Amino acid sequence: MQMRPPLQIQSMIKAMVDVVLPALDPHNKLAQEQARLIVGMLGMMAQQMPLQYRFDCDESARLISFARELQQFARGGSETGAAVAALAEQTGNAKCGPEVSTSAPGEIERQVRELRRLTGAVVTAVFHDGEPAARVQVGKSVLDMSKAQLLRDRSWVLAQGWEPDPASVPPIEQLLASPTEPAVHR
Amino acid sequence: MVIDKSSPSSEWIAALRKRFPVEAEIDRVLTRKMQRRAGPGYMPLPLEVLVKGVESLLRSELQDAFEISEAKWLSGGASKLQMAFKLSWNRPGVGREKTPMVLRMEPAESIVETSRLREFQLIKAFEGVVAVPPVFWCDADGRHLPYPALIYGFAEGVAKPSAATSGVSGLGTHLPTELRARLAPQFVGDLAKIHRFDFRNKDLSAFDVPSVGTTQCAEWGVNWWERVWEEDSDEDVPLMRLCAAWLRQNMPVLDRPVIVHADYRLGNFLFTEHDSRISAWLDWELGRIGDRHQDIAWTTSRAFGHIADDGKTFLTCGLLPETEFLEQYERASDFKVDARAVHWYKVYNDYMMVALLFGTGYRIAHGGKTHQDVLVTWLMGIGNMLLEEMRSLIEEAV
Repeated sequence: MQMRPPLQIQSMIKAMVDVVLPALDPHNKLAQEQARLIVGMLGMMAQQMPLQYRFDCDESARLISFARELQQFARGGSETGAAVAALAEQTGNAKCGPEVSTSAPGEIERQVRELRRLTGAVVTAVFHDGEPAARVQVGKSVLDMSKAQLLRDRSWVLAQGWEPDPASVPPIEQLLASPTEPAVHR
Repeated sequence: MVIDKSSPSSEWIAALRKRFPVEAEIDRVLTRKMQRRAGPGYMPLPLEVLVKGVESLLRSELQDAFEISEAKWLSGGASKLQMAFKLSWNRPGVGREKTPMVLRMEPAESIVETSRLREFQLIKAFEGVVAVPPVFWCDADGRHLPYPALIYGFAEGVAKPSAATSGVSGLGTHLPTELRARLAPQFVGDLAKIHRFDFRNKDLSAFDVPSVGTTQCAEWGVNWWERVWEEDSDEDVPLMRLCAAWLRQNMPVLDRPVIVHADYRLGNFLFTEHDSRISAWLDWELGRIGDRHQDIAWTTSRAFGHIADDGKTFLTCGLLPETEFLEQYERASDFKVDARAVHWYKVYNDYMMVALLFGTGYRIAHGGKTHQDVLVTWLMGIGNMLLEEMRSLIEEAV
């Protein structure tokens, strides 16, 4: 099958750069800016698409590990109890390890969204009616998990040029575990 | 219970309003946003429609004949539609002239939902205090134009050197050393003037004044942005949950209410290239009566600066090292800078920005609500860096 997204994206970028951009009214600043953003966005998509599945699998494994930590530390009143129970159910059903490699991309994406939602709910609950010690430990878990995940998230969009010190952010390929390998959590 | 945020119920809107008390005008615009959420996306508007809207507004304001000409779209900024035009009119105190003007109008939903009335009142209040564009008329409720709008005079100057390269919204601009040296003192001095400004005899009816000696100012702010996160966010971020809790546990007490610009940075002022003078401060839409530390924290954000040529010194807004910025500000304003309050507001500002970029940015692009969804989507990429800054700041504090 020859007609794949990498070729399609490359052709679209070329059309934008060679034909569309030069034809735009130079006084229409809004159109000029948006045409350039389209080229930039297509370039990012070309880089990201081959890695999207690995990225989602890596995040999913990281979130499952984080969810287990939260279940271990989160103690408190009824709100915390209910949030932890919901998270435990989701974590128990989550695809992990070798199972992930047979899961459809959409399924892993849904799993990531649910784990984000339910871990977020535990954090909120612990700071409403959690025990003081639980707040400290949950806070530390969130900060540690976020540090590892955000490095990947920043690397994911490195090409946009926002980072003041881009050399300090490793390329995304180096940060992602393959779908069949355990993710590096720290 | 799963909430359909793209079509929110009146009960859910009412619950959020009760859960997150904010200033009255902020409540009005956020409530309006949610009530219109299920409505149509942004439809491309011909310039002629905007010209007709401006004519309608001017007919209600002007007694004499006028004519609009040379209307064209402007880029710049991520939140509002802007149309440049020329108005031939009998200008009070001047006589007949052709004045370059800008219409600044909201799209169906903006990356930052704010009040045109507040923006209008703030710019008016600062005429003659710091350089601002002359502001003429406000269509606060969209009676004449498709959406709420204001009209101001076209200010002379550029946001970055004509030869410089930068990203969208003026982010990532690198200025030549000589230009930095000329702009930096004005940049610090104007911030001091804004904070020393006596606002009490000005018409700022769209603003509430927080109580001194309490945490009300900080609490209104956290309520504002946590409400926006709840209203708009799609994919959850556990760090945002932790951050909201941390902010509430550590709210600073307000020692003196001042006007906060709330977007004071490189890219939001114009300067004239021939003499390197700041000619207009723009983008007052997030301004509030609040805590000076909010501006100081914002201006020193990593997102708005870059590393100097020496490869190690971080330049605040690409203009001067942070320590110099703070020393010069204290001298110019005669206010002390409380490092703990700055730290809190850095976390607060990151929380606000992530709420806007990841929450509102997603929601409005998903709903096709703006004239530049592609820009809004592009800007989401900044959110990760701000989350990392937020994470580091909370870690430092604990």
